[in-house]
Amino acid sequence: MTGSSEPFSEHGNWVKGMVGVTVSVTVDGEAMRLGAHGSVAGALLEAGIRRLRASPRDGAPRGAFCFMGACQECAIFIDGRLVQACLVAPREGMSIALAGVP
Amino acid sequence: MNEPRKHDLIVIGAGPAGAHAAMAAAGCGLDVLLLDEQPAAGGQIWRRPSSSRVDNQPVRTQPDLAHGDALRIALAASSVTCAFGHRVWSVSDRYRVDTLGPDGAAAFGARQLVVAAGAHERIIPFGGWTLPGVMGLAAATILLKAEARLPGQKVVVAGRGPLLAAVAAGVIAKGGEVVAIVDRTPQREWLASVPALASQPGQLKQGAAWMLAIALRRVPILFGHRIQEALGTDSVSRVVAEPIGGGARRLLDCDALVVGDGLVPGGDIARLLRIAMRHDRRRGGWVPVVSDLFESDRAGLYCVGDGAGVRGAAMATISGEIAGLAVVARLGRAFDAQRMSGLKQRWRKGQRFSDAVAEVMAPRPADVADLRHDTVICRCEDVRLGEIDGALAAGAVDINQLKHFTRCGMGPCQGRMCGAIIEELLAARLEKTREAVGQWTGRPPLRPVSLGDLVGEFSYGDIPVPEPAPL
Amino acid sequence: MSAPYDLCVVGGGIHGCTVALFAARGGMRVALVERGSLCREASGVNAGTLTMQMTRVALIPYAMRAHAMWASASDWLGHDVGVVVCDGLSLAFTEQEAALLTERAGKRREAGAPIELVDGTAARRVEPGLGPGVMLAGHCRVDGYANAYLTGLAYRRALLAAGVDILEQTPASGVRRLSAGFEVVMAATTLGCRRIVLAGGVWIEPMLAWLDIALPIKVLVNQLAVTERLRPVMRTVIGIASGLLSLKQYAHGTTVIGGGWQARGDRERGGAELMPDRLIGNIRLACHAIPALRDARLARAWAGLEAETADALPAVGPVPGIADAYVCGSVHSGYTSGPYLARLLAERILGRQPELPLFPIDRLLKPAESTA
Repeated sequence: MTGSSEPFSEHGNWVKGMVGVTVSVTVDGEAMRLGAHGSVAGALLEAGIRRLRASPRDGAPRGAFCFMGACQECAIFIDGRLVQACLVAPREGMSIALAGVP
Repeated sequence: MNEPRKHDLIVIGAGPAGAHAAMAAAGCGLDVLLLDEQPAAGGQIWRRPSSSRVDNQPVRTQPDLAHGDALRIALAASSVTCAFGHRVWSVSDRYRVDTLGPDGAAAFGARQLVVAAGAHERIIPFGGWTLPGVMGLAAATILLKAEARLPGQKVVVAGRGPLLAAVAAGVIAKGGEVVAIVDRTPQREWLASVPALASQPGQLKQGAAWMLAIALRRVPILFGHRIQEALGTDSVSRVVAEPIGGGARRLLDCDALVVGDGLVPGGDIARLLRIAMRHDRRRGGWVPVVSDLFESDRAGLYCVGDGAGVRGAAMATISGEIAGLAVVARLGRAFDAQRMSGLKQRWRKGQRFSDAVAEVMAPRPADVADLRHDTVICRCEDVRLGEIDGALAAGAVDINQLKHFTRCGMGPCQGRMCGAIIEELLAARLEKTREAVGQWTGRPPLRPVSLGDLVGEFSYGDIPVPEPAPL
Repeated sequence: MSAPYDLCVVGGGIHGCTVALFAARGGMRVALVERGSLCREASGVNAGTLTMQMTRVALIPYAMRAHAMWASASDWLGHDVGVVVCDGLSLAFTEQEAALLTERAGKRREAGAPIELVDGTAARRVEPGLGPGVMLAGHCRVDGYANAYLTGLAYRRALLAAGVDILEQTPASGVRRLSAGFEVVMAATTLGCRRIVLAGGVWIEPMLAWLDIALPIKVLVNQLAVTERLRPVMRTVIGIASGLLSLKQYAHGTTVIGGGWQARGDRERGGAELMPDRLIGNIRLACHAIPALRDARLARAWAGLEAETADALPAVGPVPGIADAYVCGSVHSGYTSGPYLARLLAERILGRQPELPLFPIDRLLKPAESTA
């Protein structure tokens, strides 16, 4: 289905030139590439990393939930600071640590 | 301590409501500062897609993207001072706004304040809802629209409201599979709301396009159903759907569950400033009590957009403009009275459509009537329903006492994710009104902020210390 | 109206709850009247510090016994408030603070508190998380802390078990003197009692006004803050010689920062509005003492009301000129010493001799008011 009535276009001009670009990062010391656009949380999801931390009492697996900065589930260590991964964009050389997130 | 210099107006939140409030006021010559945590204006609904291109792109075909672009272009062309990347953590005095920005801690002052902080999602808990791969409907919308990413390859879309169809259509367009739509709303309720929805033909047409895309892929729609449980070890792999009120369950294999049950107005700043609020189910929950110019009971404080009651983007822009002009009037500057009356008329006319949509999405007591006792209610602190019931049995009578008894609401999300659900639970269990149950007491910081960023670089001698206690 | 109670306590904070608890265990029939929920004012929102190092010198003997009482809370309270006994350090970073510390620690030590002065190196052995620049420190091996927000539930269970009639969500609007005893007036009913204890914290002043006693009580509006969970970064209770910092990390990882920085508020509105610059100043002290705290995120800040008399000493004892009326509160470091002082008062009310003197309010009243 093509044309202006299509709700979301895979080939919309706003992703031209961005999707496909990746940056090199480390996740818990391991080198990998993440899509350069959007948020770190979205990029990790795309790379198959869904589990970001463990819940405080039960140790249950948790991952990004609201993608708008409200739930705090995606707070992980990015370049040494506890930051919400849904609010920052991936950057070349970024070091991401999931281990040790309280 | 030096108080920051005062702008005429600070607007908190650069979504549809806030941006329009700022532009309306600045257009009449006011000195306006617009603050937002995001890197660009648009809020959640008109979020700027991440891109390396500059903002003044041509208007696009998809309505929300078109609206967002138009907004960002207009804002850039206005005299509004925009401060993006600023996380507001405190509002005090009349009015001081403290933020964490790109250069660290900052403080701003204004004579008048417009709060347009938007809404966040409400999700009714169920077994396994905390599993990775389970995310909100609005969350999936952000992934699809702003990041061009799928929530998963085989997606179950669940909850209530028009966003179900939008997200399902979005997943299909991006090449994913929608395993099923699990809609709490019975089909007859949807059909009953069509006449009211028809009062906004553009929206109706868009909805029809989504439904067509869904039908063409033969996506099963389970009306009057809800998610009973999400299953998986490290992430969701299967979902159990059941008819509300009992009946045959359906097992749905998936790798993502997208679920949302409406929106909750973001009342943090209203609670923090102790302005009068009331509970309005159709508007999503607690909302500030405001005049027809959107002024609260605190002089010079205006509340607009979904944060003041969920009505959608179109109504948000109208409320923002009205408040912006009201501020202009309050500060004794000239404004176009005809424009104001035109806006008020559009507000009145727009009620019918927004009410119809809101009715479908409104929270209902039945939502929490039969949650299981082992369901996690407070995600941040792993507090299950059984513990909440234990605290009520031990004598907790309101939501803040419950917090002391259970730690609900003490975690990083500051009660945002669980608050509306817990209010509903307490009202039902204690047989009390929402007013008697209360809301979380509003306290700073409005969002978690890093201590290191807050304190910055300082030397010990610089810390102004008050007189020490007597010996 | 039913038969009068032996004792009615008005005010359900830690002082009121403790008097009620021990009076009931001593055999009295007790009613406890609280306008909100138990221990939700200062008693539920303070920093939980149990320390000798910020206690007034005159209160040191009480604080030491109170500390022992907290350490054995399982005996008399029976329910968990998360008491931890640990080392405490009061730090001095400047010459001025060192002088202050030397004087204060010295006086407290003379009064019996087990406080030693140590240098920065020794302090860092006690607390490896310390930042640089510590010139001098007061070291007390038996400091500690509790978890204030657990107080309400713990007392509630203990009071119910002791047979106290708890009337929560029940504001008292007045107290009338009868020929023998008192009548406590509430919205929907009244309650008769032979003896009365006014334990209303900052509201002791309006309560005493019901009995035509004018006791000015200053209202302190103390700011506090708590962080999200953080990996373990400290293991002691930390203060600064000036008294402007209290700092501790709980077992579950959160850190509470206090120090008496004043917010905006009053009796009517409570702790209404925090002042951001003061919050940042307080947090700077915390980060200076334990630099690793910079990695934490601030979760919540609030303000609680603390009572203070004109001489900053307790108001605990019989009300002058009014038989069988007592007041209990405004203890200053009330969370530490409150339960012990309240227990002493309960002893007195039960007709026994308390082991240490109380703090009658006669000293704080103008001569005219102290006679019947």
